[in-house]
Amino acid sequence: MRRIVAIIIACITMQCIVAQELGYKSFKLQENNQSFKLNILYKSDEGYIYAGTTDGLFSFDGISFKKINFSKAAVKDTVTAIFQDNTHQLWVGFKNGQIAKRFNGKLEYIEPEEGTPKVAITSFLQDKQNNIWFATNGEGIYYFSNNHIYLIDTANGLSDLHVRSLVLAGNGDVLAATDQGINVCKLLNGKKQVEVIGPKNGLPDYYVTAIAAAGNNNFWIGLQEKGFCLYNHNNGQITVPAATANWNYGQINTLLVSQKSLWIGTDEYGLLKQSGFDQPITLFNSWLNPSNKINNLLQDNEGNIWMNTSAELIATTGNKLKLLPVYNKSVFETIHSVLCDYQNNIWVSTGGGLIRYAAEKGSYVSKNFRFPELSSKTDITSLYQDINHHIWVGTMGNGILLLDPQSGQYRSLTENPLLKKASILSITGNGNTVCAGGLEGVAMIFNITAINANITTLYNYTNYNNIDNIGNNYIYTVYKDSGGRIWFGTDGKGITVLENGKFTHYGKENGLKDDHIYSFTEDLTGNIWFTTEGAGIYRFDGKVFKNYSAADGISDLKILTLKTSPDGNIVMVNQKGIDILNVTTGTISYLHNKQAIADVNSDMGSVSQDTAKNIVFSTVNGIVVYSPVENTTNQPKTIIDNVQLFLTDVDKDIPGNFTYDQNSFQFNFTGIYYTNPDEVRYQYKLDGLDTTWILTRDRYISFLRLQPGKYKFHIRSSLNENFEGADEALYEFVIEKPIWKKVWFITLCIIIGFAGVYGFMKRREKNLKKMQQLQNEKVQFQFQVLRNQVNPHFLFNSFNTLISTIEENPVMAVDYVEQLSEFFRNIVNYRDKDVITLGEEISVLQTYFYLQQKRFGENLKLNIVVPEEVKKHTFIPPLTLQLLLENAIKHNAVSKEKQLMINLFIENGKYLVIKNNINLKITKEASEGMGLQNIINRYNLLSNEPVSINNDGVNFTVSLPTLKQ
Amino acid sequence: MLRKSITLSFILVLSLSYVAAPPYIFTVNTGSILFRSDAPMELIKASSNQLKGVFNAEKKQFAFAVNIYSFKGFNGPLQQEHFNENYLESDKYPRATFEGKIIEDIDFHNDGVYNVRAKGNLFIHGVIQERIIKCELNIKNGTISVKSNFTILLAEHNITIPKVVHEKLASEIKVEVKADLINK
Repeated sequence: MRRIVAIIIACITMQCIVAQELGYKSFKLQENNQSFKLNILYKSDEGYIYAGTTDGLFSFDGISFKKINFSKAAVKDTVTAIFQDNTHQLWVGFKNGQIAKRFNGKLEYIEPEEGTPKVAITSFLQDKQNNIWFATNGEGIYYFSNNHIYLIDTANGLSDLHVRSLVLAGNGDVLAATDQGINVCKLLNGKKQVEVIGPKNGLPDYYVTAIAAAGNNNFWIGLQEKGFCLYNHNNGQITVPAATANWNYGQINTLLVSQKSLWIGTDEYGLLKQSGFDQPITLFNSWLNPSNKINNLLQDNEGNIWMNTSAELIATTGNKLKLLPVYNKSVFETIHSVLCDYQNNIWVSTGGGLIRYAAEKGSYVSKNFRFPELSSKTDITSLYQDINHHIWVGTMGNGILLLDPQSGQYRSLTENPLLKKASILSITGNGNTVCAGGLEGVAMIFNITAINANITTLYNYTNYNNIDNIGNNYIYTVYKDSGGRIWFGTDGKGITVLENGKFTHYGKENGLKDDHIYSFTEDLTGNIWFTTEGAGIYRFDGKVFKNYSAADGISDLKILTLKTSPDGNIVMVNQKGIDILNVTTGTISYLHNKQAIADVNSDMGSVSQDTAKNIVFSTVNGIVVYSPVENTTNQPKTIIDNVQLFLTDVDKDIPGNFTYDQNSFQFNFTGIYYTNPDEVRYQYKLDGLDTTWILTRDRYISFLRLQPGKYKFHIRSSLNENFEGADEALYEFVIEKPIWKKVWFITLCIIIGFAGVYGFMKRREKNLKKMQQLQNEKVQFQFQVLRNQVNPHFLFNSFNTLISTIEENPVMAVDYVEQLSEFFRNIVNYRDKDVITLGEEISVLQTYFYLQQKRFGENLKLNIVVPEEVKKHTFIPPLTLQLLLENAIKHNAVSKEKQLMINLFIENGKYLVIKNNINLKITKEASEGMGLQNIINRYNLLSNEPVSINNDGVNFTVSLPTLKQ
Repeated sequence: MLRKSITLSFILVLSLSYVAAPPYIFTVNTGSILFRSDAPMELIKASSNQLKGVFNAEKKQFAFAVNIYSFKGFNGPLQQEHFNENYLESDKYPRATFEGKIIEDIDFHNDGVYNVRAKGNLFIHGVIQERIIKCELNIKNGTISVKSNFTILLAEHNITIPKVVHEKLASEIKVEVKADLINK
């Protein structure tokens, strides 16, 4: 049972102002209507932008700022430096000199023994030995090494204690920008070395304010008043660009290298850009308001360039999109085709002619080319520049005009009769081939040779106007690929390809959903791509047609032109902007009104490519150039921001292990896509609960009361509902079963159960055995007693006694016989019993004693001291005492001198003691020693206490444990 | 070479201070160093009140020294002997010194409590270690009371502990310094 609960996350409010200029977006950080100043920007490994402010550290997801709190009390220190080391640990430096690290989503101050600086931390760095360095504004440079902090200051040769930033050089040296030149710091066997590079080394200014790596151990150096220069750390050479001569843009605060461009943030003049070392400097400050002070620059993973003033965080499309506002709206309305020539001049068609915008010294100079034979209403549908730099102008109804832009000379292509009054829909070309397609069977290929350098020289050409070959006489486009194949795109009859003189036709019978074909392009791996009227675009690898349509994320199916961008991806131009299809992943991204692209001219001939193959197209605000930025992504990066257990953060970077009652989770996640953050969609799946992906626009999901088990949370993000190839983030966790459901516990219980039963059985068996033994002993005892009593000695003695008694006292003789008979009867009565009462036993004993006393007279004495109570409630195996008395008489001589005295008493209430004095017979009577042993055995079975037998030479004592039942 | 010059300057500064004491020169009036080795099996404490030192408030430079033999305490005379002969080799290295500069800027004319950091070279057992040491300075009526706690890692000063006494001797020694400096 899953319950998804929406939990409102208390978030800091923010305000977003979208500027109306191309691609500029600005964000203000506000909390409780109070604005905070932005000091520093930083991009983390995963692509998150962090902002250090006067109110602490914030992360920014493209929509809002989120504060990164301290784990303890709320701290409001000003953040002046942010850094992530190679273990992804985030370091934060503060204005007051403190340093914090982030643990489990929260900041904590570090407290080194050496203390922390008293001045602002300006920059962090990790050197090749993984030591963390930090620079300060006033105390020099510190570094951590072997659990200590060390300081590099003026005593070590540092030229100034005010350090603005640190950069790592290729050889492991640390370059520091200081108020007194560049300081090159190195540790040689733990020894500090500082070398100062200043004006004497060719640095134009003492005061170094910014430093940025430019590749190959080159560094751009930003200066306080002399612009910037390039420092080569391999040879120490400093080169100063010509454009910085007579620098009048004031102090440079920050530098950013993107592609071949250097972006420069200044203190007073806003943003500058230099597109190459020899290029002029472009100023971009019209949109900065009110401050022109740029503190930081960074490039996000999508190629957008971010900067901050103290009041705003600003995004631009950076090098990705460039707007050339060369014409006004009235010119735009007449444009049907666009051409970027071999000098990257822009040509557009207007009514009855062309306008060229030539780049000169940072601005564009326009020139008109008129064709008097064309009326102002004649459509110029296509423009193409051939290898001789002649411009081919395709018209509706006037065939093709050929223009030499150098001389301005032009002519109509009259050598091909098909061109007379022909309507041309497209002109494409490849090397020395120019292809034209149009209405009424126009499908022609011109071969260009060196002699055609003269515009008046006639061309060799081939016409493909046989309807049987092509299938249709409305040809939207003719395209020659790199393998020499000629592709014809028709209006309603699919594709025809001419290869090795053979025409092959592809249409609906080959699975094409639409057979109106507008445009072809070839990608870098030789696949042919084409666009259709209503079914999106297709990729043809020579065997299979793969369709990409709205379901795959194409935003607008009205695509007349396809182009392959310099990175090999496919660019589709529509009325709202461009869709970019990544040929490797199949994902589609967009640049459109969010990038301030407005009213795109999507006519078939209105998309061109510059010399670098960047895509050039026209919009109402001017020509837009799309150039993909190297090493960037066009898809969201999925990040699990945090994992909460009962709304408390747990460490999201290690798999979780929870108890059965730790079962309610919330996942917060972000698909970082700064270009269009609102367009990000998510799909999640919790392995162990869900079997399918679930689509959501929310950035959090809760799972309450999960059952014990193994789970894996998957989240992926996409710009459309096509999640193929989407970036995915994971969090694995286990909810343990409660102890009573664990296998080991259940096993233990079963074992204990079995052991109990087994023990019980054993005990019972033992008892039974004991009973059995008792029975055996009893039988043996009875046998013993019987044997004793039918012992001829006993009978002989008894009869002798009787004979003498009869003679002396007949009355007593009768009594004697009665006693004898009583004795035997008792033996018979008690022999089957395990125990009898002590009273009963004593009466047997007394009977026996009577019989014996008649024989020995007063020389045999029996003294019984046993309370009546005890007699009744104490038990004894039958005939025990009788046997002991018999033994005493048997082993001891009884005479007048040596009387035999037998005492029977209770000791401590625990023992029944029978004790006699020892007066051993000289001749020992034959004895098997069976009687005493038998008593011991029987007591072993009846009592836990043993029978104790003590012979001290004077007395013979037998102590029998009293048995109570 | 560096060490020699530091020692020389130290002696120079020290001797100068006896001749004539400019108002910015402070010398240690009373000073003590206490160290503790808190090992699982044994706690060893020893202290010396023979801390000497000088501080130049103008240049923020300082030099402190203590005679190793002056440490008293320990848990027995044998331990003290081991301390001097086996571990610190006091015959070879009779003194421990700390010389350097205060990082922060402080107005020594203003009474108050200041937390500062001293960056300098700590010389113990023939090994120089650069250290930053936090101290509390209490300035009152022209005297400076210094209080500081820091740790010394024996390994950093090439003081090796035989395995048999590992449980009795900590590898990190806690040091507590207190000194009153006056201008005289």
